[in-house]
Amino acid sequence: MTLEMKSIFNNELDHWTLEVQGEIDVFTAKNLREEMIRIFSEKQKDIILDFNKLSYIDSTGLGVIIGAYGRMKEKGNHLIIVNAKQNVLKLLTITGLDKILIRNTF
Amino acid sequence: MADLLKFSIPGKPEYVGVVRLAVSSVANRAGFDIEAIEDIKVAVAEACNNAILHGIHDNCCNYEVVFTLDEKKLTIEIDDNGRGYDTVNYQEPDLSNPKEGGLGIFIIKALMDEVQINSNTGKGTTITMTKYI
Repeated sequence: MTLEMKSIFNNELDHWTLEVQGEIDVFTAKNLREEMIRIFSEKQKDIILDFNKLSYIDSTGLGVIIGAYGRMKEKGNHLIIVNAKQNVLKLLTITGLDKILIRNTF
Repeated sequence: MADLLKFSIPGKPEYVGVVRLAVSSVANRAGFDIEAIEDIKVAVAEACNNAILHGIHDNCCNYEVVFTLDEKKLTIEIDDNGRGYDTVNYQEPDLSNPKEGGLGIFIIKALMDEVQINSNTGKGTTITMTKYI
């Protein structure tokens, strides 16, 4: 049960990419919250969450993402999820979050 | 004749991952396919979250996860002796206006075939869920 994150700012495209690896659950969700707050306060730009290596997410993880989405929207920024695996995509669809967080192109 | 497996889990976030592993193993033993195993794992983990975040006070106590499996179905009961809450006034989340909390029960109901929640304020909560094979 681990969560590893790597944040890279893309100067050319002017956004953050946050790669998330492992599992986001009730134990690790706070780490994602802290990392998103950290990078957004360092540079107030859009964030792309790359879930290519994310194997699991639960409602506490989704809650953290909803919170970040709301805070960023207030500042006029976007939060987007890319490369979600089927099981993660299923939860995003059930909760309706796919409609606001998933985009085919950015 | 149904088989019964009973686990007692410390009410701490770091042990929910252990429950997930156990759930996957039991569901696999019961004969579910990969997608159904994933659904059951997520639903049980959400009920564990519920026990930890809204039931048990300050991680003080254990909660129980009981599996009952037979040829046709797997039933899982997550039982805490925590604070309990008012199930009558439970409101489903407004998906057009997402909020940080309140998604757990909604997800459980979406993934399992039958879900029953019994909660008494001050006495605890039991979430019982069933998936048919």
